Amino acid sequence: MSDWMIWKKGPETLPFGKRFDLHVRGVALLAVLGVGWVHLLVAYGASPKTTDVGYAPEQPVPYSHAMHVGQLGLDCRYCHTSVETGAHANVPPTQTCMNCHSKVLTGSPKLEPVRESFRTGKSIPWVRVHDLPDYAFFDHSAHVTRGIGCVSCHGRVDTMEVVSQVQPLSMAWCLDCHRNPEKHLRPPAEATNMRWAPPEGDTPDARHAFGKRFKADNHINPPTDCSTCHR
Amino acid sequence: MSALLPPWFKPAAVVLGALSLVPFGVIARARNVTTTSPRIHIIRDMDSQEKFKAQAESALFADGRAMRPPVPGTVARGELMDDDHLERGLDPDGKFAATLPAALGLADDAKLAALLERGRERYGIHCAPCHGLSGWGDGMIHQRALLLTEKRPPEDGMQWVPPTNYHSDALRAYPVGRLFHVATHGIRNMAGYGAQMSTRDRWAVAAYVKALQHSQHPEMQ
Repeated sequence: MSDWMIWKKGPETLPFGKRFDLHVRGVALLAVLGVGWVHLLVAYGASPKTTDVGYAPEQPVPYSHAMHVGQLGLDCRYCHTSVETGAHANVPPTQTCMNCHSKVLTGSPKLEPVRESFRTGKSIPWVRVHDLPDYAFFDHSAHVTRGIGCVSCHGRVDTMEVVSQVQPLSMAWCLDCHRNPEKHLRPPAEATNMRWAPPEGDTPDARHAFGKRFKADNHINPPTDCSTCHR
Repeated sequence: MSALLPPWFKPAAVVLGALSLVPFGVIARARNVTTTSPRIHIIRDMDSQEKFKAQAESALFADGRAMRPPVPGTVARGELMDDDHLERGLDPDGKFAATLPAALGLADDAKLAALLERGRERYGIHCAPCHGLSGWGDGMIHQRALLLTEKRPPEDGMQWVPPTNYHSDALRAYPVGRLFHVATHGIRNMAGYGAQMSTRDRWAVAAYVKALQHSQHPEMQ
């Protein structure tokens, strides 16, 4: 029996020895385990991966990105026109829907809210899916024009019937990429291409190699100062 | 050797241990399904501040929008739009211009090439869905619309007019200024793209359409 195996030596050798009654010791051990359990539960359950990922609100119009982007091949920027020039990637005005839907599916009941909005000039109450905390500054244009594709943060929107949040959008997640952006970098002209892969092939190694080259060639040095995002 | 732990400890630990796994199971499930219920933010702190972000709602205005349009009758600095050639595609004599505006700053061929390249990209985003990548009027929206008109009963009222094919004599005779005008304000069934593309981008597209027309109608020499 080794010296450190105190639990095999009898209660008198435990810390506090026999001063604790058997039952108190049992309860105390459960309490210690309980505290650990609570920690694990909070770390797992209160993580943005639990609380935020998977949010897929019901929208006033059942617009399908899978249909419009995946099948018809519309570019993200057909609707989200400000993504390359502004901090905010806009939800399109009703006019953009009506560019096509004044001619296509003009009798569809699902599109009635769109037609009503167009008639009355009232906004369609789209529900925002991706929403950073108000104390975080984020600029879409700074990312898409420097080689971060839409898919890195928004996932395969071109396969989504209903858009859901797929990334935690937490600070740790932001910093992870700001510290190691290589695996996400791509030519800026391919920013909206949901299926882009380096010419060498769609492997993590090829992506990393491309990102490393691109980062060096274009001096991509994502800042990690507090004031980058909290200004 | 006397007992280290009370006799009830083992069964209690087994029961509590099993129960303690339940919340983890619930969380694991929550992590792997989508939900329409709002995100859970336990500590709200400054997450939702008393301020309006872009495109936010505001009860203060009749239209419910926090973002305000410019006051009628006002012009923002630099947006006077007094260059007829650049903003309207017109010559000094009021006809559609056959040249690109000087204000685009196309001093050399490299700049023109860059404009055409930009035009190619923007054409792919905004025009190709209907007009097709080569401008034959065979884009994906057109193909889809044809399918839908076949499938739907005529009383639905959907009438599809095929997008214009650029490669006709009439369209080839369009001066570039007229293409710019159409891109900006639309024509017949086509909506204007003045709000979706910047002035420079609409010129880039107009110039690219001209290039497309040449590409599909080479002149023999």
